[in-house]
Amino acid sequence: MRYKRFIFNALFGIYGFGVLAAASGCGRGGDNPTDTLLLAAYTVPKEAYEREIIPTFQRHWQQKKGRRVVVQQSYEASGAQSRAVVGGFEADVVALSLEGDVDRIVEAGLITHDWHARPWNGYITRSLVVIGTRPDNPKAILDWADLARPDVEVLYPNPKTSGGAMWCVNAIWGAGLGVGGGATAAPDSAGARALVKGIQARVKVMDKSGRESVTTFERGIGDALVTYENELLLRTMQGRAISFVIPDATILIENPVAVVDRNVDKHGSREVAEEFVRFLHEEQAQHAFAHYGFRPASPKIMKEVSVHFPEPARLFTIADLGGWAQVRETLYGEDGVWTEVVQELARGR
Amino acid sequence: MAENATAFRRESPWGRRLLIAAVLVWFALLLLLPLAALVRGAWREGIGAGLDSLRRPEARQAFALTFWITLVAVTVNTVGGVALALVLVRQRFRGRLLLEGIVDLPFSVSPVVAGFMFLLLFGPHGWLGRWFEAGGIRVVYALPGMMLATIFVTFPFVTREVAPVFRECGLEQEEAARTLGASGWQAFWRVTLPSVRWGLAYGVTLTVARSLGEFGAVLVVSGSIIGRTQTATLHIHQAYADFHYAGAFAASLALALVSFILLACMEFLQRRARAGRS
Amino acid sequence: MLRRRPRGARAARAAGAERSALGLRRAALGYVGLFVALPVAALAARALADGPASLLAALRRPEAFTSLWLTFRLALALIAVNTVMGTLMAWVLVRHPFPGRSLVNALIDLPFAIPTIVTGLMLIVLYGPQGVVGRFLSERGVEIIYAKPGIVLALLFVTFPFVVRAVQPVLMELDRDMEEAAATLGASRWTVFRRVVLPALLPAILTGAALSFSRALGEFGSVIMVAGNIPLRTQTAPVYVYGEIESDNHAGALAVSLVLLLGSLFVLIVLHRLQTLGRRRDG
Repeated sequence: MRYKRFIFNALFGIYGFGVLAAASGCGRGGDNPTDTLLLAAYTVPKEAYEREIIPTFQRHWQQKKGRRVVVQQSYEASGAQSRAVVGGFEADVVALSLEGDVDRIVEAGLITHDWHARPWNGYITRSLVVIGTRPDNPKAILDWADLARPDVEVLYPNPKTSGGAMWCVNAIWGAGLGVGGGATAAPDSAGARALVKGIQARVKVMDKSGRESVTTFERGIGDALVTYENELLLRTMQGRAISFVIPDATILIENPVAVVDRNVDKHGSREVAEEFVRFLHEEQAQHAFAHYGFRPASPKIMKEVSVHFPEPARLFTIADLGGWAQVRETLYGEDGVWTEVVQELARGR
Repeated sequence: MAENATAFRRESPWGRRLLIAAVLVWFALLLLLPLAALVRGAWREGIGAGLDSLRRPEARQAFALTFWITLVAVTVNTVGGVALALVLVRQRFRGRLLLEGIVDLPFSVSPVVAGFMFLLLFGPHGWLGRWFEAGGIRVVYALPGMMLATIFVTFPFVTREVAPVFRECGLEQEEAARTLGASGWQAFWRVTLPSVRWGLAYGVTLTVARSLGEFGAVLVVSGSIIGRTQTATLHIHQAYADFHYAGAFAASLALALVSFILLACMEFLQRRARAGRS
Repeated sequence: MLRRRPRGARAARAAGAERSALGLRRAALGYVGLFVALPVAALAARALADGPASLLAALRRPEAFTSLWLTFRLALALIAVNTVMGTLMAWVLVRHPFPGRSLVNALIDLPFAIPTIVTGLMLIVLYGPQGVVGRFLSERGVEIIYAKPGIVLALLFVTFPFVVRAVQPVLMELDRDMEEAAATLGASRWTVFRRVVLPALLPAILTGAALSFSRALGEFGSVIMVAGNIPLRTQTAPVYVYGEIESDNHAGALAVSLVLLLGSLFVLIVLHRLQTLGRRRDG
């Protein structure tokens, strides 16, 4: 009886200790003069920001203003991040995968300035959609058509949750259409649809984000992975055995950055947020992005590092596909090509 | 098994052994093998690297956050759960049955749906969100939302464990204490609460276990700011996606270890509760 | 409450008790209302706000409908396995002592304690192509992870304790006289089990099955790790809801959430019926 009570009291005591610790924990708030910046980014540039750009920016801010800046970071799939900001996640700066995800924040009235007005149209990094393969490409995958082969299993993330996946499907779609590279022939919709369908039929896993897709691939699933060039360059740099091919026709990815006006005004962090975005355009930051596998948006830096970034024969942009609004409708809308293809494949099985 | 006298009981020992073996194999395949695989996975990624990654600030902060959220969920659900159990057992009023049904609802609601509910309620256009927005308080994509979601998914545990004990021990002792001059509070602290302590402790343990491990609900309402609104499970998720396999496995193993301790507590408390009731 | 003194008149005391009871009830109702009823109501209200037509339209989308149907089928398959194996497990634990029984008994609750995302990771490590079992199976053309069997495995793991824990106490209290009487009257062991034991256990087995079913309908953390998440093929309803929330299609998320919610309510009603059934049998 006595020991029962002892144990009960001990449990109660542990709990009480926890409450005390919590109370004291709440007491220590940081009130030394620092600036805070909340960055909401998509998953892929995490290493570039975390390891190089943010520490450099913190030194830069210290030198310039003599103040410390704490950069709080959140890395989620682009679509999820955009949805969160619209839903009340008070990010000061958003660095997303695609224009459309920034536009959603603009439509919600949180970004009130013209974010395209910055240098390079508001984009800070570029990349390509490429095909990752097992080391030395054992299945001899050279172009999009090879992904539709019955002996090849493909991975790409889910366009519903990941902006990255939209880039992937867009690349396949555009390659099928035959746009870009000064193409003059009429776009081949039927051919493009067949290509999208052929590849979607071989897709084995659709992860939540581009990142998780690479993780799954590294766990040994699939023969080919449709993803960003920078992601695979990063993994190669980190010593992972993974090869990739740049298809002849592929899309140029452009990743935007924007200050979220309503949030910076609410937090009083406009100055540091503007400076951060400006800093991303500077040589130092552009070099850092290049170091982590991105194609710098700055033409000057791009020229310096162009040896690492071969130009594919037929490079096209989202504008060649009619812009994001049209792509969203024709590919991912309720009667969009991709949506229909997925349904057809399910019915055929 | 000394009373195995009838023909019925004299079953063939082989049939029995086979049955035991079959059940044990099933148990091992389903529960133990995955656990062993996790340990082996962590081992292969390197224990040193794993420990290092656990010591990094983002991991430590994630575990600390999980701790605070658990603490809040436990506090709210203990106080509220005991009050609710008292009301459910001792009071008769219209709508009591409905109330009983609502209490169980969080057991069976999908965590994603639970998180979604709070997004709707506290989002910028939600019923309460509009109001909080005006007051300048962030709920979703911030700590309060994560706490609310955790309270929701752990809601029934304390009530469900405490209510049957209240039902069994009745009012006699408490009334005796009152007759002897104890005030309502005294009777509650000295008589009522101690009589349910093992049930309560069991309910709290279940609450802690679920709070520590909640993923879906928290994922939906969290802004996932590293070191700020990233719980242990979200940290595992991010580490895994960021190719820090050693870190993901180490953090998983750490959580699994806590689960084992909780499991030991559960087993102990269950025995105590059973002994207390009989 | 403070006013209540032992020397107070009986009537005053009764009035005070009444008042404090009312206060307690209000507090309890507030607690339920704020943390459970209000969020549920918000979801239901938002789902029904645009009228039943748009709700039905959202549900009629193949992705939504198929994800629900898949989840439902997998949950059914799961309880088929779970009821049999869970009952057997409980039977062995209660009736057939073996060395290490108490350890096994304690470990049954493991899935309640282990975070679901850790469950998912464990299954990936074990059954993924780099895992021991996974390599063995994939060389023989058996796909587990990122396919339906992977989802079932995850669900089996997380619902493992329900049936065992529901059946165990009933089995322990089961009166053996009946069984022995039946046996002396010449009934075979199987007949005894079927005619005497099983009917007594049935409410408990069904309770465990209902709990497993509702958990299987809602499971997210482990499933999203091990399912291929391909719409219309390996995407379960909670994962679909997650995708629709993230891509800002609230209509789809709301409709499927509402169906899942109704499913949970249905299971709760079944459980309630089973409880009254079990009590009646006891009495």
